[in-house]
Amino acid sequence: MKPVLRVNLIWSIFVALILLIPLVAGSYVISVMCFIAVFGGLAVGMGLLLEQAGLFSLAHPSWFGIGAYMSGILAVRDIAAPWLGGIIGSIFVGLISYIVGAPLLRLRGYYLACATFGLLLIVEISLGQLGSLTGGHEGLMGIPPLSLGGFVFETDVHYYYLSWALCLATLLFLHNLMGSRVGRAIKAFSDSEVAAKSVGINVPRYKLKVFILTAMMASLAGSVYTFYLRFTEPGIFGFPLLVELVTMIIIGGGKRIYGPLLGAFVVMWMRELIHMYVGGLLPRVTGEVDAIFFGVLIIVILIFMPRGLAGWVDRLFDGRRIVFGEESQG
Amino acid sequence: MRGLSKHFSGIKAVDEVTFAIKRMSIISMIGPNGAGKSTFINVVSGIYAPNAGKVYFEGEEITGTAAHEIAVKGIVRTFQLEELFGSLSVLENVMVGCHIGSRSDVLACGFSLPSARSEEKRVRKEAKECLKEVGLEQRAYDPISRLPLGERKLVGIARALGMKPKLLMLDEPAGGGAAHEVERLVRLIYNLRDRGITIFIVEHNMPFVMSLSERIIVLDEGRKIAEGTPNEVRTNEEVIKAYLGEEI
Repeated sequence: MKPVLRVNLIWSIFVALILLIPLVAGSYVISVMCFIAVFGGLAVGMGLLLEQAGLFSLAHPSWFGIGAYMSGILAVRDIAAPWLGGIIGSIFVGLISYIVGAPLLRLRGYYLACATFGLLLIVEISLGQLGSLTGGHEGLMGIPPLSLGGFVFETDVHYYYLSWALCLATLLFLHNLMGSRVGRAIKAFSDSEVAAKSVGINVPRYKLKVFILTAMMASLAGSVYTFYLRFTEPGIFGFPLLVELVTMIIIGGGKRIYGPLLGAFVVMWMRELIHMYVGGLLPRVTGEVDAIFFGVLIIVILIFMPRGLAGWVDRLFDGRRIVFGEESQG
Repeated sequence: MRGLSKHFSGIKAVDEVTFAIKRMSIISMIGPNGAGKSTFINVVSGIYAPNAGKVYFEGEEITGTAAHEIAVKGIVRTFQLEELFGSLSVLENVMVGCHIGSRSDVLACGFSLPSARSEEKRVRKEAKECLKEVGLEQRAYDPISRLPLGERKLVGIARALGMKPKLLMLDEPAGGGAAHEVERLVRLIYNLRDRGITIFIVEHNMPFVMSLSERIIVLDEGRKIAEGTPNEVRTNEEVIKAYLGEEI
């Protein structure tokens, strides 16, 4: 079979499975899958930024958080309908990421990581301190459910389809993008900035574009998340989420767009299993067991599959032909 | 076009070098290692800013213009150490060269709009033609890492052709190439000149430079010590001194 057909077949099966799961699974599975869609989609954007564009930005949880809070606050105060709030939030995040990105993206490598990490802390602390607006450390309560033209998203199944629709749309959009002129420019400057400039690519502008784009996508995911939980608090958008996302990217492999989503599957289901089995045996240290397990898993993955699970899948399916072969002829 | 003139001074690596390049000619720059030849290309292409001096192209001053804007103006360069994009295939590398000739932006590409798709098709076709021109069409879907050095330099040239250059600056194109590859390169460069592209070559390979160039500029310790036809340069005493022991 031609590689491109095989790839399409695998994706069709995957989408079909996603569509069918709510028909057979219970609410527990559906709820975990919801979180996988949200955090997987988030990790996909961050993985693209880190591993394909070579921009070591750690601010992703902040974009997610600002989007969540913005749409949440607008809905609680009845300023904008939830769906509109999500869009406003995303535009707001786009604006902030522009203001922040324009100066910060001049930094390279770990310097960019340090600066964006600072941003992450600032946002988390600000969300906690702006009590009158955000509800402070107690969290923002009384968020109404999402509704669209009379249809109210109430049950887990509704949010399941919503979050997966957003996640798959993100995936498809970024897949198209990376196979296009813009994607080539992004890969080009991450390979060699000097050469990219010499072929006429406006490198700072493209860095800013991909930075803003992934930030806005993160914000949309944040809105879906907040309307699903109908509650939000600053602690969600801090360091632990960052670690979680990086774990997903490393385990899944950020060189492929779907890699971090694969990582999200593995991380979240493994965590559920740990909590299920270890939680009974060692109820007091489940969190620690969790941390140690993923620490060891990351080391093992880095040693044996430096390009993550996606890199391993590539090799399994004769990745070279898929990567450089007919698929890119599209 | 009035031809080009470039003035430099200040930086030690390239010290007050002045010369002009006539349109549609093949002009070379030679000089011992460390003479400042690559630095010269880096300054003209906008990678480094000159400390003093000016660069003119088609009568317009371009000193201090950003590298990507210089590329848009039609001054295109290749690299001594090819600087290809390792995560892209050979064809995709050349397609990146077509970047400035296309418009589609983030949204059009992400949503795969018809405009973006038809542009993609056109760019792919153009890139294939550029690859054919350098004789690498069979290598289109290979990753860069599978190509020998000589072929990588050809990919660099194909990528440059995708940019539709007016002035093409080749940094050591024959370096690392086998004899038959160098021959192919000579034919390619003549073809490009006949198509109306001005060629500027920096090179160590003397037979290659002597047979190809209409004019040669000799650089030593950043200064221009001679300029003329291959025969004039060959017999110039200063040049012989600079190359002491090397046969020209």
